[in-house]
Amino acid sequence: MERTPVEIRLRKGKTIDLGPSPGNTSVIARTVRNVGVMAMDYPGVIFDLRVSEGDRVRRGQLLCVDRYRPEIAFVASVSGRVHQIRQGARRWIDTIVVNVEDDEGIRFDVDAAAQNDGALRDLLLKSGAWLGFRTRPFGRIPDPSDRPSAIFITATDSNPLAPDAAHVLKPLMESFRRGAQALSRLTDGPVFVCQAPGSSLIDWSKTLRVVRFSGPHPSGLPGTHIHHLWPVSDQRSVWQIGYQDVAAIGTLLSSGEATITRTVSVAGPGVERPALVRAPLGAELNDLLEEPRTDETLRVQRLVSGFSLTGREARFLSRHDLQVTVFDRNATPKHTRTALRRMIDKLPLAAPGATQPSEAFERLFPFDLLPVPLMRALAVGDIETVERLGGLELLEEDMALLTWRCPSGIDYGQLLREILDTLHQEKAA
Amino acid sequence: MTPPPLLARHWDDNRLTLVTLTASLAPFVATIVTGGPAQLPPLALAVCIALLWHLAFALPRKRLPGWDGIVTAVIFTVMVPAAVPLWQQGLALSFGLVMGNLIFGGRGRGFLSPAAVSLAFLLFSFPVNAGPATGTAAALAALLGGALMLIAGILSWRLVIGFFVAMAACAFKWPVPMIWPEWPSATLIVGLIFLIGDPVAAACTNAGRWFYGLLAGGLFVLLAYAGGDILSSVVFSGLLAAIFAPLIDQGVIWANIRRRARRVRHD
Repeated sequence: MERTPVEIRLRKGKTIDLGPSPGNTSVIARTVRNVGVMAMDYPGVIFDLRVSEGDRVRRGQLLCVDRYRPEIAFVASVSGRVHQIRQGARRWIDTIVVNVEDDEGIRFDVDAAAQNDGALRDLLLKSGAWLGFRTRPFGRIPDPSDRPSAIFITATDSNPLAPDAAHVLKPLMESFRRGAQALSRLTDGPVFVCQAPGSSLIDWSKTLRVVRFSGPHPSGLPGTHIHHLWPVSDQRSVWQIGYQDVAAIGTLLSSGEATITRTVSVAGPGVERPALVRAPLGAELNDLLEEPRTDETLRVQRLVSGFSLTGREARFLSRHDLQVTVFDRNATPKHTRTALRRMIDKLPLAAPGATQPSEAFERLFPFDLLPVPLMRALAVGDIETVERLGGLELLEEDMALLTWRCPSGIDYGQLLREILDTLHQEKAA
Repeated sequence: MTPPPLLARHWDDNRLTLVTLTASLAPFVATIVTGGPAQLPPLALAVCIALLWHLAFALPRKRLPGWDGIVTAVIFTVMVPAAVPLWQQGLALSFGLVMGNLIFGGRGRGFLSPAAVSLAFLLFSFPVNAGPATGTAAALAALLGGALMLIAGILSWRLVIGFFVAMAACAFKWPVPMIWPEWPSATLIVGLIFLIGDPVAAACTNAGRWFYGLLAGGLFVLLAYAGGDILSSVVFSGLLAAIFAPLIDQGVIWANIRRRARRVRHD
């Protein structure tokens, strides 16, 4: 068996400055009026409804399942009434909106799961905790019977303005450890706990390995960790899971209640005081902002679920996002302040251009992969070359800095997603 | 209407062109200041030709023309010997713009530097005997332009160091004839920065940039030893190295794939 390094220092990357982050402020609970479950958060999933509009649901109750893998359950994160079921393209369910009404939860039976590995999987699937896992390659919800070669717990977050994992975990340490122990029963390989430098979050054992990552963004993204510790391929897949999802599994195993709240940072150039707020999964982003919320402030604010390069402007918080970035619609971007820059921006721009190589791409990409050949292969849609160049090790978020730096205006994350979906279909066929 | 991007990009094609243009204009301005405005008509002609060819390729395709043709025109004018007649300059520049860039679909899609192709065409077609008379001021200005390109990350420092290492090593083996009055001249510096160092023509991987720089430096000394003047040596070493750049990159890609495959097997 290979040796696992204890600490990995990365020099490549860039942490873009977006203003102050909430830091170690205390967590504020916000009252949320609506939550949404969005199909967009789960690539490859088609919702099959188990409720209809107007139904009353309790916290933890089944809303819908995946059409092709009905064991995978999507549950309500609040108790209330199903307000709206929105359809998107091909009449597939796009969003399920639930109005919050009272506070009534479902208790799951956890006794069997304490001993039996099969029962543990059933519990995770039934309670919706399974959705915290994503496979690598492909970034999808794992199959219920899949046994990964390793599991990666991402107990750090280098996205600018993201909450500090160690601070959020402080009151949840007991649950986090219990959850991590439970995860080691889902795989034959190791469970890696990837954290920032500092005191160890968990005791090192044969199955649980702590690795510290330091350096600029993306040193705290699971893609970087997996690449350096346990590179995946078409032969070998791993699961990744966020630290708050692990703590939620720990709480579920001790209390039987599905923990569906997350601690989320609300920050960015559009807010005066960055804050850490506690909110249910899929919370409406408007409700996470500070009071008073007048129509005027809501009109000028652009709310992004996630880090601004990888997130999207949406009504609800995405499943895996732990931050809301707020922009001011009226603010002039910094780079257009000088007259010369404004003039240059007025010149017509042939878009999208071609990928032009630069050493700067290598400086932003802490992988042993070749960024420019990869970007060129993505731009022309050469699936085989993307796969040979290690595209299976990456997800959209890993390409974000390259997209930001590239003058051509090509969205490499989007192109990678399309190629990953094609490769996944080929593999399934 | 699409919403504006959430986080504005620092770099787009126009800004890239502007930085390159500023850097390439520096030696030109120095020549004008020290030697008078004799070089201005050739520049005006070259810029007009470049814009016309870009329009000629963009309009039938209903696209917006790129602005990088102006940069090519400036580099060409800086490097071309002043004694060459204007019609020869125009013909050579047209050939380079079209065959080195536009028929591939624009900047970033070809594999050669259009200015290098223009100069190579000129040197092949019309015998040019005298090198351009460039002074110390132009050389210093070119160095400043090169520093700007290095800071902006457009010019690779690996390539530059590789070039000089190979040049120094090869100059031992093949002592260069004393045809070069001032060493290094503005022609060599401008050629290294904009012809050999053109990111589109050079290798596009970090390891490849070392090999590419070494190859170009070695070829430069070899060509000069064989009797070329600075201009033809720098142009043809750039052109030859650019032709080998995709092969160098392919070698780096193979090595990378092998290394990663071994890592997965050993885990």
